[in-house]
Amino acid sequence: MIEIINIGKEFDDLEAIKGINMHIQKGSIYGLLGSNGAGKTTLLKMIAGIYRPDRGTVKISREPVFENPNIKKRVLFLPDALYFFPHATIRQMADFYKSIYPSWSEERFARLQDVFPLDLHKKIHRMSKGMQRQAAFWLAFSVMPDVLILDEPLDGLDAVMRQKVKNLLVQDVAEREMTVVISSHNLREVEDLCDHIGILHQGELLIEKELDDLKADVHKIQVAFHGGIPARILNGLEIVYQEQRGSVLLCIVRGNKEQIISYINKFEPVIFDVLPLTLEEIFIYEMGDVGYAFENIIV
Amino acid sequence: MLSKTLSFNRGITVQNLRHVGWIGLVHLLVLLAAVPLQLIMLYTRREQNDAPLWNNLFEISGSFQAVVVFTFPVLLAIFLFRYMQVKSSADFMHSLPIRRKALFYQHTALGAFLLVIPVVVTALITLILYYTLGIDVLFSATDIFQWAGEMCLMELFVFFVAVWIGMMTGMSVLQGGLTYILLLFPAGISVLLLMNMTYLLTGFAADYYLNRDLEHIIPFFRFMRLGAEPFAFIETFVYLFLIIVCYVLSLWLYQKRHSEAASQALAFPVLRPVFKYGVAFCTMLVGGFYFGETQQQFGWIIFGYMTFSIVGFFVAEMIIEKTWRVFDKWKGYLYFFVAMLIVGTLLHFDITGYEKRIPELGEIEQVYFGDSVYDFIDKKSEYVPYIQLEQVSQFLKEKENIKNVYLFHQQLIEDQPMPSSRSTETRYVVIGYILKNGDRMIRSYEVPVEQYKSFYRPIMESKEYKKNYYFLLRDKGVSPVRQVTMRKADSGEETVVLTEPKQVESFLTALKADLQNESVDSMLGNVGVWGDIELLQSDGDILHVTWKKSYMNVEQWLKQQRLLSKARLTAEDVDYAIVVKNKNIEGKPLTADPRFIQRLSARTDVVRITDKRKIDECLRQSSSPLDERHLYIIIFYRSDGSDPQLGGFDEKNVPSFIREQLQ
Repeated sequence: MIEIINIGKEFDDLEAIKGINMHIQKGSIYGLLGSNGAGKTTLLKMIAGIYRPDRGTVKISREPVFENPNIKKRVLFLPDALYFFPHATIRQMADFYKSIYPSWSEERFARLQDVFPLDLHKKIHRMSKGMQRQAAFWLAFSVMPDVLILDEPLDGLDAVMRQKVKNLLVQDVAEREMTVVISSHNLREVEDLCDHIGILHQGELLIEKELDDLKADVHKIQVAFHGGIPARILNGLEIVYQEQRGSVLLCIVRGNKEQIISYINKFEPVIFDVLPLTLEEIFIYEMGDVGYAFENIIV
Repeated sequence: MLSKTLSFNRGITVQNLRHVGWIGLVHLLVLLAAVPLQLIMLYTRREQNDAPLWNNLFEISGSFQAVVVFTFPVLLAIFLFRYMQVKSSADFMHSLPIRRKALFYQHTALGAFLLVIPVVVTALITLILYYTLGIDVLFSATDIFQWAGEMCLMELFVFFVAVWIGMMTGMSVLQGGLTYILLLFPAGISVLLLMNMTYLLTGFAADYYLNRDLEHIIPFFRFMRLGAEPFAFIETFVYLFLIIVCYVLSLWLYQKRHSEAASQALAFPVLRPVFKYGVAFCTMLVGGFYFGETQQQFGWIIFGYMTFSIVGFFVAEMIIEKTWRVFDKWKGYLYFFVAMLIVGTLLHFDITGYEKRIPELGEIEQVYFGDSVYDFIDKKSEYVPYIQLEQVSQFLKEKENIKNVYLFHQQLIEDQPMPSSRSTETRYVVIGYILKNGDRMIRSYEVPVEQYKSFYRPIMESKEYKKNYYFLLRDKGVSPVRQVTMRKADSGEETVVLTEPKQVESFLTALKADLQNESVDSMLGNVGVWGDIELLQSDGDILHVTWKKSYMNVEQWLKQQRLLSKARLTAEDVDYAIVVKNKNIEGKPLTADPRFIQRLSARTDVVRITDKRKIDECLRQSSSPLDERHLYIIIFYRSDGSDPQLGGFDEKNVPSFIREQLQ
């Protein structure tokens, strides 16, 4: 659906994006993670056709996005810093969107009034930050785009509203195969939402994974043996991380779960547990060997 | 069909109207106040018989209209394209499925609409009032249409210039500021360049190039003159052409422009050095101009170049970087400095040979000699605004004169006179050539008169020059003189009137002889004046000739006719005279004290003259009115007891006996 081919972008002397390749499938929710200044917003704005890449191209449905109204009318970008016309009400903004996006659904807009308890005729600028964000989501969902690009979208929403929005997103993805690209500096915020994750650091894409793959692939095991740990046991495992606490060996191992279990059982362990990993742990271990600090991504 | 719906989007226009509609409305109200309201006001006071002479609509409220024309379009351009200059709105607008081209069309179309419609509505209302009120005005319906056309043209021009500037900057404040600067730029840079050339190139005649056409290229001044001088066809064409250029350029730039240029001083990085060095260069010229005109010393001019260009460079840098802490960028200035040093040195050492250039004597068809460039300007029309009674600057064709002017020029090229201190008397020498192949060349110098008098003499005393110099001596243009009136120099009081044709005739012969024989000293104004001679011609025009003390034939004639003592103060009428040194007392000139004449008789440091021959000499040598060049003051006390007459002697005219007695 979205193809990003070797794009780069510079601001004066700063190279914000350094040759990124990405592929986002139709109907997926792609989480773009990175610390502040990693280049997330720049990348999203290029995907949305706002910024012109200095190198490479961004294609949606095999067509370049930039200056292409045919594509852009199926794409909606919800920025970090929201923009509404000065003194506009939600109704006026809705009329504007309606005139711009052919896919606008007045019916959906009416239906969503139940989800977003906002006054249609109040000036958006007088609303609180959280309400403004709700208004933005209301409008965005009513446009019914094929591609929805969200830059730090959940900031300022309370827990209930967050869940409502997430539900609506998932629902649209399931029903209409909408493609979502969502950026965040907080892994936990999007962990339960995304099926793909990409990590951006200093303008480069460090890692790009399917979450199910990740979780199936990495395991945390705890084992203990009579008379110490057999030396041979480590040779047969792809170990990412290991730690010994007394006689207990704790390690993170890559590989097929069944194979690992049968392999370990051969050594007749006294204690043997396979524990689930949080996404956070996966990333820390995955990235740990690359040597980057991830504290601020995970928070 | 698809492209049509894409290029016009109702939502955008509705939004824009909400945003800038008020400008169009206020524009309309202001125009209504400027023209139709004035007509109604005139109508209600039609009985008072004070109808103003309005030849066209510009004369109703020209300067107010000028303010409207040069504010509303700029305001409109700023507000319409405000979305590009703010990050959040720039991102929003460019995320919409609308091509930039379409956005541009829609915004400019609405802008043009909001400018043109109020003008058209105003013109229509004016037209209705014109036909219904029946008031007494000097303009016609055509003038109303012309007004509407010219208003639209000018407003659209200003609008599209502002749009174009908006494309190049990312800040609305700069968009406004730079628009006005750009409108003044062509004229401003011409003046600055030309004036600075005169400091670097001796003989450069800046005035020749700075003729009045310069006003035409400042749109604001051009608009102010529309009432007197409507747009010529070519001007209309030029403005239309410029509108199209701005439009096309804006569109092209907009498509090249990055969204992220919002809030940056300059939207395109390539413009940064252009802006930075451009500002440094212009301020440098301003600095040179300022110190060149106030101090007239080369050292000060260099000082002006240095300080102003440094200030300009760093101010430009501050605007670009949006911080005042830019002083670490001095290296950029260094490049500029070195480049300017090279250019300045090349100019100063006259790499093109400009200062030394002089045509071959044989190629010259005629020369131009005088003190101003004005008459050298190739005038298109034969219309002469006024007749100069003393034509200082003129063309000379005689071989001898061509050679003398040529020699003068050669000397000037050798001496390279620079404007020097103000104490010595200087004059402008303007020398021009028209060559046999039609080429023209002009140079202008400022020289100390005394030093070059020997060069002035053969030219100014030549028959050809003299004949053109004095209107009275010309072959054409002078009608028969019916009456001669002589007046006193100070009071203008009538002294002698001649009406007898024979007497007038013989007086004129004497006067003409004096003019023909007049020396260069007298022509350059170094002698005293007895009074003014008025010649009333048969066509009713009056010719004035200054009666200089050097005119001996007139003097002789008056003596013969026994009119001398009537015409001027003579030694016979003077009882005695007192001479005193012209010194300042307590920092004030002597004459500042109204009672100083009374106090003189009590002073011992004065000379009292009673000898008639000496008084006569004093009368002839003294001049008035008094100024600081006069070393001595003389007061003539008349026999009849009337007010004493004041005069002074400057360095050259002091009689020797005074110099001896009053050291």
